[in-house]
Amino acid sequence: MKKSLIYLDEEDIQSSIDLLEAVRQIYRDECYETYAFCFNQPIEAAECKFNYVFSVRDNMLQGCDIVNLTNCLEELHRTYLFDSILIPASYQGRMLAPRLAMRLGVGLVADVTRIEYNDGELEMVRPAFSGKLFAGVTNKNCSPVMMSVRPNVFTYTSKHLKDTKIIPFHPVSLQPSKIKLLEAKEKERAKDIRESEILVSGGGGAAHHFDWLYQLADELNGMVSASRRVVDSGIAGRSIQVGQSGKTVSPRLYIALGIYGSLQHMEGLKNVESIISVNINRNAPICSLSDIVVEGDSKEFIEKLLTKIRNSKKNKDMEAER
Amino acid sequence: MKIVCLVKFISDVANFLYDYEKNVLVRENVKLILNPDDACALAFALEVKARRPDTFVEIVTMAPASVLPLVEDLLRRNADRAVIISDRLFSGSDTYVTSKIIARYLENTEYDIILTGTHSLDGDTSHVPSQVAELLKMEQMSNIVRVYDESLQGKTVIVEADTDKTISKYEIALPCILSIGKDSKYKLPFVRYKDLELDVNDRVSVIKNENLSFSEAEVGLQGSLTKVKRTFARKLQSKEKTVVCNDEEGIETVYNFLKSKGFV
Repeated sequence: MKKSLIYLDEEDIQSSIDLLEAVRQIYRDECYETYAFCFNQPIEAAECKFNYVFSVRDNMLQGCDIVNLTNCLEELHRTYLFDSILIPASYQGRMLAPRLAMRLGVGLVADVTRIEYNDGELEMVRPAFSGKLFAGVTNKNCSPVMMSVRPNVFTYTSKHLKDTKIIPFHPVSLQPSKIKLLEAKEKERAKDIRESEILVSGGGGAAHHFDWLYQLADELNGMVSASRRVVDSGIAGRSIQVGQSGKTVSPRLYIALGIYGSLQHMEGLKNVESIISVNINRNAPICSLSDIVVEGDSKEFIEKLLTKIRNSKKNKDMEAER
Repeated sequence: MKIVCLVKFISDVANFLYDYEKNVLVRENVKLILNPDDACALAFALEVKARRPDTFVEIVTMAPASVLPLVEDLLRRNADRAVIISDRLFSGSDTYVTSKIIARYLENTEYDIILTGTHSLDGDTSHVPSQVAELLKMEQMSNIVRVYDESLQGKTVIVEADTDKTISKYEIALPCILSIGKDSKYKLPFVRYKDLELDVNDRVSVIKNENLSFSEAEVGLQGSLTKVKRTFARKLQSKEKTVVCNDEEGIETVYNFLKSKGFV
């Protein structure tokens, strides 16, 4: 029986739970048990999904205290000897995973986006060179297998309910904390592009009339996102960037305006239902993934489509009045 | 006070070309640059030194010896010393081994604080700062956007970090590793005109494995715990697509598509 531990990041519980799908892909038909590490927070979210939940309640333990979190996970591993440990590649997880891997003396693969098997050997696939290339990385016979997994890539869909056992855990390895949170200001959070069903996205070809995108997005009740090129040139903020160095998005509709579709950009699109791309170059890579390719200027396209949508609405209203 | 800046030189990925015919990266003539986040870290250290001249700034990098001209350029911006950790045996090391090598050098070095960048543009694992911190038994924090340098005088330092959802202020015990993020906007100063040709050769040292005494099996590809089995470009799956123009018919097609899917 294989044992897999998943670290539940308090800031992003859902992404952490989704790692169960990665575990399923690692063990496939083998028998395995899943464990969750959950500290100072309600365990409801993990219930019925994991076989076991370690519940830690200790006021000494804070989310920013990576050293003590490492101590806890090490302590658990020494007792349970997990075969794999998966940590979401969140802000916290990206500091915790490498520290724990060093503590346990095992290799770590960062930002895994896919699990594969090659000649019977587990291969963790991750993007490299800003997503221009992918690397299949293997672990040299070390246990546990450790990886940090990019959020929003795996989705846990099992309807099978588990009889979750709660294991209260009282760590003995905590040490006086050397880090103190003084103040936390919530960032002004405009709605996240990851939550939008419709994205109107602009690339280099739309950089000079980027404002227009907002009009189309408003009309469609969607949000505006951007490619790295637009963000790097300062026209749009990092928070709306799609791609390997930005966010992974799964909208139902992605309208790509003047976007070339580099690998680093395409890596940010997961399970997008429909893509419409507007480009003066009909051979741009993104066009081959699109349902409809409009060959032409993106500003002209927006103007014409807006007119079309508005006129149709007007006609409908008029008909309704009659 | 003494600040160590741990930096990395990377291939200039923004200007990478990809050969779609042969499915390979064009690596010829790709020049090395200082990783942008690491530049922010060094820039902050040099700011501190500009305000407090008794500050000593040491640059540490693990790299092929060919980075020397780039390192010299940084020294001309008023850094005090540079160490290039370089040995044929080290090539092919993964992040685990790299961290061990760097930590072994640092174990015998004096410092009050270590600065690094958060992300690197090439591998972007962000493992090394955390793993070096683990080996040196100290705190490490990523994506720092502001360091309150007046606080550096005491036993702790106060920083502001962008944690994705919040901007948080922390107090961290010294010594520690602070990984600076690009949004910190610390910028490297230019080389002053009179220093353009400044001879800085006596301020660079190269550290080899003789100095660090690892066995051959501990480092390089052999010592690494992970192995890159293969690299490949993602094959994009083509869809059945309709190609139209920006004319009435084209817009009609797009509109009908949006309508059929319920988007308008």
